[in-house]
Amino acid sequence: MRHIPEDELHAYLDQALSRSQCVEIESHLAGCTQCQDHRDGIAALRDRTTALLSTLAPPRRFTPAVEVLQERAAARSARRATRWRAAAWAASVVAALGLGWAGNAVNERVPSGAAEAELAAAKDAGAGEAAAGDAAPGAQSVAIKAADSLAGRDLAATVDLADAGSPRPEPPARRPAPAAPAAESRTQRVEPVGTVLSSGQLLAANLDAATGTVFRTVSWASAERERGASVPRIAGLPVMEVQVGTSGQSGGKPLVVVAQQLESGQVIRTIEGPATDVNKLLASRHSESGSPWPAIDDSAGGIAGGDGAMTYRRGDRILAITAPLPSDSLRAMIRRLNVTER
Amino acid sequence: MDELEKLYQTTYTAVVRFLYRKVWDADRAEDLAQEVFMRLFQHRPEKPRAWVFAVAANLARDEARAAIRRRKHLTLMTNDPGQAPSRMSMPADEEVEHDEQMTAVQGALDALTPRDREVLLLWDGGLSYPEIAAQTGLAVGAVGTTLARARKRLVDAYDRQHQTRDHAAHS
Repeated sequence: MRHIPEDELHAYLDQALSRSQCVEIESHLAGCTQCQDHRDGIAALRDRTTALLSTLAPPRRFTPAVEVLQERAAARSARRATRWRAAAWAASVVAALGLGWAGNAVNERVPSGAAEAELAAAKDAGAGEAAAGDAAPGAQSVAIKAADSLAGRDLAATVDLADAGSPRPEPPARRPAPAAPAAESRTQRVEPVGTVLSSGQLLAANLDAATGTVFRTVSWASAERERGASVPRIAGLPVMEVQVGTSGQSGGKPLVVVAQQLESGQVIRTIEGPATDVNKLLASRHSESGSPWPAIDDSAGGIAGGDGAMTYRRGDRILAITAPLPSDSLRAMIRRLNVTER
Repeated sequence: MDELEKLYQTTYTAVVRFLYRKVWDADRAEDLAQEVFMRLFQHRPEKPRAWVFAVAANLARDEARAAIRRRKHLTLMTNDPGQAPSRMSMPADEEVEHDEQMTAVQGALDALTPRDREVLLLWDGGLSYPEIAAQTGLAVGAVGTTLARARKRLVDAYDRQHQTRDHAAHS
């Protein structure tokens, strides 16, 4: 009688066999104690492997909300499309340059006026690129503003935080197109500003102009390290993302945005930072979304705000909390913060 | 909820675990897993589950290469011994025991051939035999054979390490 081979018993226990194969094995097992013992041994081995491997698991953490990743993916696709346009534009400049040179070579003895003009124009364009590529800090904001005004609310200027300067792996798709180094440097300079909210709205798309803040997604530990203080968090809600923004204008502890998930699945954000930066951030969010946020008078100190957003001022810093919740719920959330409000 | 969202909810943890067993750093494993799913939502492949693990394996491979480069660089610059993987807090003696067991299993896993290890980890990640076959280039019929061998070797290597340690502790 043919006994069941070992690999088939593994496949049988792993439920990797067809129905007919299973029937065949089961009918054999019913009458063969040797194969039954063999099967039990393999089942034990299989369980033991699973148990051993289960010790090699990272600490159990919260699964980030799917919307966050979907939006990052969408922002990345949009950025890619923009980059392709930029690359095509740069390629056309290169082509024009090449044609100019070629034309010049053909007409070397008697250079035509048209070819010279084309060459000069191309050279000018190249010089402009080089100057922009050198990017003195002052020139940078000018370049950003110029790009802003040219492109309006172009998605290239509203990149998700996660990719801005964080040590994430660089996917091949985002590597600079070798043919277009000049265009690449332009795009990159505009990139690390602004953020995408999980609601799909852009949080301070023109953040660069408003606060000069560049955001990064960081781990909890490094956020605390960078700030040298505790990071605000609402007790009992899973943390989805921690973002640290460093502003060129205000010194001291940087701005921090903590996104947490409410039981309803909606996102609540706690923002803490220099008063001017947080106010500008909230104001730009307000003007952009046109959401019915109340004007927040934070001058008196204490808790201010209403449905949707609330702030608490402490000296020259503001702690703001935003979520699609009525004001009394927001107040309850503020009471659950790990940082003191007094 | 569309198919990809469901897949995300059901496999995210498995992918983090799969990556963790390759990069041995919980934070990096999470970062890479998020990268994998971000790409999933961008590309929307036909066979998403197998695709997710294939991309995860590739990212882990790139990560390992980069880690080797970084280590070489570090060794040149300092004598930094590197950092231990981060872990949730637990009582000290439990922590020691957990560490010891983890090191032993890690050692046993490292003792497998790359192919055996890959098949074992993919199976533990929840992939079917045909999916494992597609990713590793094995015939579907060979997956069972490979798994049988990998399981036996993992357990044997683990037991050997335990015996050695017990022996060392008693002598």
